[in-house]
Amino acid sequence: MIDSSSIKQLAGHPFDRRDFLKVLGWSGAAVALSGCGNTSIENGKETVVSYVEAADYVIPGVAVYYNSTCAQCDAGCNINGRVREGRVLKLEGNAASAINRGKMCGLGQAGVQHHYNPDRVREPLLRKGDKGETISWDKAYALIAEKLNGVSGEQVAFLSGAVSGHLKVLLGNYLESLGSKNLYVYEAVAPAVQRAANKKAYGTEMPRFNINKAKVVLSFGADFLGSWVSPVHFSQQYAQFRKGVDGQRGVLVQVESKMTLTGANADRWLVVRPGTEGILALGIINALGASGVTLSGDVAAAVQGYDKARVSNDTGVSVEHLDKLVALLKERTPSLVLAGSAAEGYAHGSQNAAAINLLNQVLGNVGKTIEASASVPFPQMIPAKGNTAALKTLNDDLAAGKYKVLFTYATNPVFTAPGSMKFKANLAKAGFKVAFAHYLDETALEADLVLPLDSALEDWGTQVPEYMAEGAQINIQQPLMEKLHANTQGMGDILLTLVKQREADKYKDFADYYGYLRGSLLTIKGALGSGGTDDDTFWDETLTSGIIKLAGSAEQLSGNASAAGLQLPAAAAADAQYSFHLIPSVTAYLRDGRHTNQPWLQESPDPLTTIVWDSWVEIHPKKAAELGIVEGDVLEVSSRTGSIRAQAYLFPGIHPDAISIPLGRGHEALGRYAKGYGVNPFQILDAVFDQETGELALHETRVKISKVGQRIIVVKDEGAAGGKPEQRRIALSKSTDQVKLSEEV
Amino acid sequence: MHRFLRLSFMLMGLLVASGSYAADTQKPTLTTEDDLGPQVTQPIEFPHYRHAGLKNPDDPTNSDPSKGGMEIDCQYCHTYARRSAVAGIPPLQKCIGCHQNIESVRNKPRIVELFKYWDAKKAIPWKKVHDLPDFVRFNHERHIKRFVEQQNRPTQEACGYCHGDVKSMTVARRSKSLAMGWCASCHEKNHPVTAEGGTPIGNQAYWYKFQKPVVASSDGVVKAQGPNDCWHCHK
Ligand code: SF4
Repeated sequence: MIDSSSIKQLAGHPFDRRDFLKVLGWSGAAVALSGCGNTSIENGKETVVSYVEAADYVIPGVAVYYNSTCAQCDAGCNINGRVREGRVLKLEGNAASAINRGKMCGLGQAGVQHHYNPDRVREPLLRKGDKGETISWDKAYALIAEKLNGVSGEQVAFLSGAVSGHLKVLLGNYLESLGSKNLYVYEAVAPAVQRAANKKAYGTEMPRFNINKAKVVLSFGADFLGSWVSPVHFSQQYAQFRKGVDGQRGVLVQVESKMTLTGANADRWLVVRPGTEGILALGIINALGASGVTLSGDVAAAVQGYDKARVSNDTGVSVEHLDKLVALLKERTPSLVLAGSAAEGYAHGSQNAAAINLLNQVLGNVGKTIEASASVPFPQMIPAKGNTAALKTLNDDLAAGKYKVLFTYATNPVFTAPGSMKFKANLAKAGFKVAFAHYLDETALEADLVLPLDSALEDWGTQVPEYMAEGAQINIQQPLMEKLHANTQGMGDILLTLVKQREADKYKDFADYYGYLRGSLLTIKGALGSGGTDDDTFWDETLTSGIIKLAGSAEQLSGNASAAGLQLPAAAAADAQYSFHLIPSVTAYLRDGRHTNQPWLQESPDPLTTIVWDSWVEIHPKKAAELGIVEGDVLEVSSRTGSIRAQAYLFPGIHPDAISIPLGRGHEALGRYAKGYGVNPFQILDAVFDQETGELALHETRVKISKVGQRIIVVKDEGAAGGKPEQRRIALSKSTDQVKLSEEV
Repeated sequence: MHRFLRLSFMLMGLLVASGSYAADTQKPTLTTEDDLGPQVTQPIEFPHYRHAGLKNPDDPTNSDPSKGGMEIDCQYCHTYARRSAVAGIPPLQKCIGCHQNIESVRNKPRIVELFKYWDAKKAIPWKKVHDLPDFVRFNHERHIKRFVEQQNRPTQEACGYCHGDVKSMTVARRSKSLAMGWCASCHEKNHPVTAEGGTPIGNQAYWYKFQKPVVASSDGVVKAQGPNDCWHCHK
């Protein structure tokens, strides 16, 4: 910092003022050089293109804003896009949204990189051997019609990611016109087990969770700040929860085998032996009963054997902690118990979830912190929720050679199906495969015909979120800018064209999907609460706000508190050969890996390990010491299905009997920013399914590890371990059993 | 001091020379305060003098293009200048809006060319004449607001401070250096910066002669009239 006084000071020293100014002259000249036109000035070279015709509101240099809906995950946050000179530059949350109240997550922010991604498919491609040949849309449509000719409905299947709104309606209509019932809705990391458990316990698949009204939140592996259900919404609830109800700051206790972002924020992080979450829940119920909470007869019977000593022994949670947790739950009501994917990813996942939900019933939280959610009064538009059971059925059918024509949209099973399913090989048995795709991902690469889609920022649509924050709402998706590529089409437009091939008459009034959307929303205008307004006003208002808020009918919670059918297996025995549990972790930004080609996401350090652009194997430092593993050792992780190699990262936030590899990386396709970075743990997952719902048990795979004798430098943001205290890793400074939970009560 | 100045100019010249030899020979030479920018060839040789030039009193019908203009306000076409950081080039629609009604020049080669673009609905690829480096953000709106709206000066004079005598040009040519020192030459003379209560001036700004904040002695009122921090332009 040099100001005039320090110049004066300098003047009295051998380094005199003139010399100083000379130096200044030099650097001044350098600045002048770059400022004067020899570097970045484009006089006479760069073109400045003006509009041919400009709309009144278009002023170059001044941004306009449009409301739309985030399409990066299913939470359905409402967004507001900044558009300047016809280009979308930045997305922010829509402040009027009950879901995200003007905020967005990092994954959502990266949505512009989905749109501007250089690896988007730009032309319809037809397979010619190993290559894709560009063809016209007309030819593509004709080809589909030809392939469908003479094929019965049973021989056609459509595999889709979660869809809702008018797209779902149109998709249903198309399949109906083909006489096909084979719609498979597949999401690799969906809370499907939980939906089933909730339905049983509360009478609705997705009730509303009021984290903000709870005084204690006990979360069994629900990463609600990172990737669970509606993370932006829950983050805001969480902020209120931390400020406190009645002046009492909420206490968060997270129970899981591998620390999530939410776990890292918890007041108390309890590590459990993988798969024993249900046992812990029943143990807590038992202890609550012992401490005076009344339990109904069947509940008391169900938890009878779960005394503290046994539970502690099975789960690895000490009796002391159990006692404190029970005291905390008893003292502070209402509380809220959440069951996340970590608890559900087992063959007994449904039982785990049921035990956890039962805990909510026993604590009297139902109706207080768990409430009925409003639903959209148009059942056709309610989301078709994805799960993995659908994939299994499809896979079996494909293996049997059932399908002559298969459509895929918004899901990438060749990447996300567990290796043991051999999905890629089975997919090859389908006769003619059509992929509607933004990029050439692994699944599109297997297709015979690839049809390029408009990006989410170019397309029209409606979306109905699965998790309703307040009242029910329908989200509007609208183009934020002109299409970047002339030859892409919107999914709605494609479906409309396809359905017109079958039933031209029924859809002749709709020139395009936009017309269809507008028409259908106008016909239900009354039901949407705008009966009195004229069509144009209604439509303008709808597009302006980007949200249709509905009064919505709240269902009643009708679940029961019975423990009937609750049967937890004993804690899993150790596997001598494959001694580790593999926890494929779902990270906040990469999720199931469909957006891995957005470089911002690759570049964002993982919140817990700070690693970028690569995969890693998380292992407990004690276990690592036992095995002589240090950070950066390349480990071979083998399951009964297969093996992958990745760098070791020593992390205290994991159960010593488990290792964890994040999902989402390890693409063999999907463009320059995804291909070849990291490894794909989906590949080595065993095909174990939840016994009740048939969902894939993500956490059931057992693995063994070995060093391959190579060591690399882990590319990460954090400083060296043992450096300055503020650079030290999470949780190293105080081991969990030294934190006094009683002080937090 | 003089010797020093000469030295530093020589050094600058040296650097410039080596810089321009190293790079493409097409690069414009270093411009000083009076230097003209390069002559830029435009897709259509737009006659600014004809549109903005002064009327010829001897030619009330304005029939002789070589003798007089039409005194059209700059802002009539560059309408964005008062509303945005950039002045913008008018949309083609604007040219056509007038020219479809001016039959007398309809067959002139430049107008024929203009209508070709219009019929094809294609934008005219004008070349930039006044460009600033990407790290400089100049705001037209502020300058128009101050000079034209607050001080009621004629538009052509206000625009002319930076753009020169455009009304006498055919296609525009840069006539001021638009370098930072040149900006400072105006701001130091006419806009003493008073930033009391605002962001303190960065040290850099002194060196480039942006003045120290002074509270007006008469009434103690502080008026911020120019950049009082680096980021005003470098953001
Ligand atoms: S949670 Fe994030 S990615 Fe999902 S919809 Fe909201 S902003 Fe988009």
